[in-house]
Amino acid sequence: MTERPSTTKGRRARSRMRRRITGALALAAALGSVGVAYATVAAAATPKAQTVAAANAPANGPVDVRKGRQLYETSCITCHGQNLQGVLDRGPSLIGVGAASVYFQVSTGRMPATQQGAQVPQKKPRFDDSETRQIAAYVQSVGGGPEIPTGDLRGSDANLAEGGELFRLNCASCHNFAGRGGALSAGKYAPSLEGASDTVLWTAMLSGPQNMPVFSDNQLTTEQKQAITNYIQTLKAQKDPGGSSIGRLGPVPEGLVIWVVGIGAIMLMILWIGAKS
Amino acid sequence: MTDAVRPPSTREQFDQPGEIDLETYRDLTLEEQAALGTELDGVQIVHRRERFPVPGTKAERRAERAVAACFVLAFLAAVAFVVCYVVLPWQYDINSKSYTWFTPVLGVTMALSLFGFGIGAILWAKLLITEEETVQERHSGRSTPEARATTAAVLTDGITMTGLPRRSLLQRVLGLSVLALGALAIVPLGGLIKKPRDALFVTGWSTGVRLMTGDRRLVRPGDIEAGGIETVFPATPDGLSTQVVADSVVLLIRLRPGQTVRARPGQQDFGWEDYLAYSKICTHAGCPASLYEQQTGRLLCPCHQSQFDLLQDAQPVFGPAARPLPKLAITVDDEGYFVAKGDFTEPIGPSFWERK
Amino acid sequence: MSQTTTERPAGKRPTSALGRAADWADERYTASRFVRSSLNKVFPDNWSFMMGEIALYSFIILILTGTYLAFFFDPSMTEVRYDGSYSLLRGVEMSRAYDSTLNISFDVRGGLLMRQIHHWSALLFVAAMVAHMLRVFFTGGFRKPREVNWLLGVGLLTFGILEGFAGYSLPDDLLSGTGLRIAYAIILSIPVVGTWLAFGLFGSEFPGVDILPRLYIVHVLLIPGIILAFIAVHVGLVVLQKHTQFPGPGRREDNVVGERMYPLYGAKGGGFFFLIFGVTAALAGLFQINPIWLYGPYNPAQVSSGSQPDWYMGFLDGSTRIFPAWEIRFWNYTISPLIWPTVVLPGILFTLLALYPFIEARMTKDRSVHHLLQRPRDVPVRTSLGAMALAFYFVLLISGGNDIIADKFDISLNAMTWIGRISIIVLPPLAYSATYLLCLGLQRHDREVLEHGVETGIIKRLPSGEFIEVHQPLGPVDEHGHGELEYAGAPVPKRMNRITNPGRKAIGFLKQVPDPGDGPDLGTEAGETDQEAGQLAGRPKNPD
Repeated sequence: MTERPSTTKGRRARSRMRRRITGALALAAALGSVGVAYATVAAAATPKAQTVAAANAPANGPVDVRKGRQLYETSCITCHGQNLQGVLDRGPSLIGVGAASVYFQVSTGRMPATQQGAQVPQKKPRFDDSETRQIAAYVQSVGGGPEIPTGDLRGSDANLAEGGELFRLNCASCHNFAGRGGALSAGKYAPSLEGASDTVLWTAMLSGPQNMPVFSDNQLTTEQKQAITNYIQTLKAQKDPGGSSIGRLGPVPEGLVIWVVGIGAIMLMILWIGAKS
Repeated sequence: MTDAVRPPSTREQFDQPGEIDLETYRDLTLEEQAALGTELDGVQIVHRRERFPVPGTKAERRAERAVAACFVLAFLAAVAFVVCYVVLPWQYDINSKSYTWFTPVLGVTMALSLFGFGIGAILWAKLLITEEETVQERHSGRSTPEARATTAAVLTDGITMTGLPRRSLLQRVLGLSVLALGALAIVPLGGLIKKPRDALFVTGWSTGVRLMTGDRRLVRPGDIEAGGIETVFPATPDGLSTQVVADSVVLLIRLRPGQTVRARPGQQDFGWEDYLAYSKICTHAGCPASLYEQQTGRLLCPCHQSQFDLLQDAQPVFGPAARPLPKLAITVDDEGYFVAKGDFTEPIGPSFWERK
Repeated sequence: MSQTTTERPAGKRPTSALGRAADWADERYTASRFVRSSLNKVFPDNWSFMMGEIALYSFIILILTGTYLAFFFDPSMTEVRYDGSYSLLRGVEMSRAYDSTLNISFDVRGGLLMRQIHHWSALLFVAAMVAHMLRVFFTGGFRKPREVNWLLGVGLLTFGILEGFAGYSLPDDLLSGTGLRIAYAIILSIPVVGTWLAFGLFGSEFPGVDILPRLYIVHVLLIPGIILAFIAVHVGLVVLQKHTQFPGPGRREDNVVGERMYPLYGAKGGGFFFLIFGVTAALAGLFQINPIWLYGPYNPAQVSSGSQPDWYMGFLDGSTRIFPAWEIRFWNYTISPLIWPTVVLPGILFTLLALYPFIEARMTKDRSVHHLLQRPRDVPVRTSLGAMALAFYFVLLISGGNDIIADKFDISLNAMTWIGRISIIVLPPLAYSATYLLCLGLQRHDREVLEHGVETGIIKRLPSGEFIEVHQPLGPVDEHGHGELEYAGAPVPKRMNRITNPGRKAIGFLKQVPDPGDGPDLGTEAGETDQEAGQLAGRPKNPD
C-alpha cells in the first residue's frame, strides 16, 4: 500500500471519499431493506399459482355437493341469489355456467368478489382446492354447464406449432403474443397468463369469464385446447435466448431501455471523457 | 508547468507562409518543428504540458499500468469471446436451457473487449498524452475580393465563350430538350404503376361460399357458444392464403341471450338468428379488430383503440375509426353449414379516396 | 535554443518502414500538406459535442452488422413450411423472409447476437440523432452559416427513421406486418392518388408479393447510400466551417479553441467508437430485442394486444390513437381520418423543423455569421419553443404506448386516450411558460452573481450586530462594491470551487483533481502534494 500523507488536503479528499462511499452504502442498504420488505409483503399478497398436479388431480372420492352448498350459502348467496338466479346489479345468474366457471373464478381468487368495478381482479383465493371443487360441484348440480377438465391437458409436444397458431389467432389479440396480458376498453383487461395453471387455462376457455368469449368444445376441440395449453405453458417456461426479455411486451420497453440504459450509459461516458483530468 | 511552446524567432524569419529555411529548421527541437508546422495551418499551441515531466514517478507508472490493464482486458475478453463462440452450446433445444447463455455471454465478452480498447485509448489520452490547448484561426465569411471578382469573371467569360447569350435558337431548343431528359429518367418508373381497378371493392366472398375455420372445418350453428366468436374464412381452395385472408377474414359472433342488434338500414336480414358476421379488418387502418368483449358487445381494435359496438351493428363508438365494420350477409344452407349470401356490400377495411 | 538535436533533414529519403510507406504515398499523391493540415485541425472539447459522434459510430456498426445479416437474409415472400430448430414453429407456413430470420436467430452460430447488435444500434442511431439535434437546437448551432448542415441533419433524421421502419419490417413477423398493413392504409388515405400510390408500391392489393423485396433494396442500397452521402457532406461541412464553440476565455468568433485532431482528439474519438460499440454489444447480450419467434409469422387475421412500432415511430402511433374519427365525405369521395395524424402532422412537424433556422433568422432579423454558441437560458424564446415542441412530442410518444400503460398501471384505456387528447393541447403552452420563466430566472441569477459575487456560505457578524453572508467578487468592484464584469455568454461560476474553472469541464470525474490555484503541480497524484491548508482554493480573499 502507498503511504498516506497527513496533509489536510489529503485528509479532506480521503474523508470526502469515505463520506461518499458510506453514503452510497447507506443508500444501498436502505433501498435493499425497503425492497426486501416490499417483496415479502407482495409475495404474501399475490395469489399462489396452483400447481399443475393439484389442479389436475381429481378430488378423492365423490365431491361433497352438500358441503359445496353450505359454502355457497355462506359466501356467494348475497350476490348470486338463493337459487343461483343472480341478484340485480350485484351478481349474474349461475345457471348453466358449470363447474368450470366456478373453478376458474374461485381458484384464482376472483370470487368471492370484494367490490364492484370494471372488472373483478385476481387475488388471494379464499377457498382451497377441495372447497373450490365442492362449490363447483354444487353449482354444476343446480344448473349444469361445462365441467372441470381432467386427464391430460397438454397433449404431446407435436402439437406445439398448431397450438401457437391457434393461440395467435384466438388469444393473442387480448392476452398479447406471449400471454403477458393487455388492456380492454374502459378499465377492463385481459390478464397475464403467467400464474395460470393448465386447469385455469382450460376452465377459462370453457366458461368465458367476464368479457372473455366462450370457446366451447365444438369450437376448439379437446386436442386444440391441449395444443393451446401446451403452447402457453411451454412458452412461459422457455428461457429467452437473447438476454433479459424486458417483459415480453414488444418495442415499448425496448425504447425505454435504449434511452435510459443506452443513452444514459453513454452520457456518463461522455461526461467522463470530457472531464478535466 | 512549461510555457506555451513557440519557437521564439523562427516565425519572423520566413517571408511567406509555406517557405521554411531548412538551415534554421534543422536546429529546432522536434517540438518546435511540430509547432512550426501547426502554425503554417493557422493553429497555435497556447498551452502544452507534459503529464509527467519528472519521469519514473509512481504516479506515472500507475497511469501507464492502468492503460495497459485496459488493453490486457481487451485481449483477454476477446480470447474469452472466441473460446465461448466455439465451445458454448448454442443450438435451440426445447428441453434444455444451456443454449440461452450463448448470446449473453458473447455479448458481454465482446462488450468487455471493446470497452477495454475504448477505455484504454481514452485513459491514454487523459493520463499520458501531453496535455495541450490549441487555437485555430477561422477564415470564414466571404472570400477575398480578388477571388470573388476573378471567379465571377471566369464564369462570365466562359458563358460568353459558349456563345449562348446571343444564340436564341439554341436557348429555346435547350430548354425544351432538358425537359425531355427529365422524362427519360422518370417515365420508366411507369412500370411500377398498377391500376387499382376493382380490387378494393371485391373480396374472396361471393354467393354460396361457405364459412370455414382456420383448420378447414365448415361451420354449423351450435359450433359457437352464446357469447363466443370465431374467425372464419371463405371455404375456397385459396381461402387461407395470405392474399385472400387479408381482405376476406371475417369474425363470426354469437350474441348472448337477450342481446339484440339495431341493424343498419337495409341490413336487418344480414345475420342469421343470433349469429352475425363482420369483416375483421378494422375500418381505420386495417388491423384485425378482434378483441371481443362478450358482456358489453364491444369489439376493440388493439392498434389504435377503435371500439365498435356490435349491438349497434358495429358502429364505431370510441377511437379514431369513422366507419362501422362491413357486415357479411350469411345464412345456413341445406346441409346446415353457414354460407355467405354474397360479397360485402361495401369496401372492407380503411377508407380511401374513391370510396363513397 | 534547441535542447536536443534531431537529425531531421527535409529532402533526404526516410529509412524507417513507416517513412518509406509515407514517401511512397507522397510521391504519388503529393499529400503532405493535406495530411498535416488534417492532423492539425482543432476541435473544441465540450462534452455536448460528442453526441453527433454517437450517431456516426452507430451507423458504422449498422453497416458492419447489416452486411453480415445480408449474407443470410432472404427477402422473398414465397411461402414455405418452417423446418429449422425452433420447435414451436415447426411446420408452420411462413414467408421466406421470416424463415430466413428464424434461421439467423436459431441456426446460425452467433446470428442472434448480430441481429440484436444491429437492432439495438438502429434504436441508438436515431436516439443519438435526436439528442444531437436537441443540442444543436438549444445552443443555436444551426444559425448562419450552418443552415444547410441543419437541413442535412433533418434529412438524416428522416431517412434514419424510414430506414429503421424498412429494416424492422423485413422479417415479416406479426408485429411488423401489422405495421406494414397500417402503412398501406396510410398511403391509401392520401386523396386522389392514394390508391394508385399504394398499388404501385405494393404491386397489388395488400399484401402482394413485392413489398418486402422492394423494402429490402430500399433498406440495403437506396437509403444507406443517401445517408452515407448526407453524412459525408454533413461532416465535411463541419470540417470546412470548423465546429462551433461556447463563449469563454480566449474564445472568439474568429477562432476555435480546443485540441488538435492528432493525437488527442483522434485518440478520444477512436476510443469513443469502441465504447459505443461496447455499449451496443452489451445491450445485445443483456437485453433481448425484437424476438420475432415469439411474435409469429405475419398473418393478416392475427394481431397481438400491445402492438407498437419501434420507439422512433411511436409518436406517429400516438398521434393516430388520439386523433378523433373525423372523416370527410362528399359526393363519391372520402378523405380518411388517417391522413391527418400520419401524413399531414409529420409533414408539418418536419417542415417546421427543417425551416426553423430561416424562420428564426427572419424573426430575429439576424443576418450575421455565428460561430459562438448560446447558452439556452440566453435565448428564452427559442428554448421555450423547444420545450413546447418536446412536450408535444412527448405526449404523442406516451400515447403511442397508452394501451400498455393502461394495462400495467391500472388506468382505463379510454381515459388514456382522453388524457392524450387533452394533454396535447394543454401541456405545450404550459411547458412554454414554465421554461420561459426558468430561463429568465437563470439569466437574472447570472447577472446577480456577476454583480454581487459568489455566495461563500460564510456568515459574518458585523460590529453593528447585523449578520451578513460573505460574497466573493468575481472581478474588480466599483465604489459600491458591485462587480463591473459584463455577462459574456459564458457560464458564471456560482460556487467557490468553480471560480477558476467555471463549468467548462467537470473537475475530475471519479477522483478529485487539484485546483490549479493550489500551486505548481509536480505531476504527482491528487492529494499527495505537500500543500498548506488555507491556500487560495476554497477561501475568500478578503471577507470585507
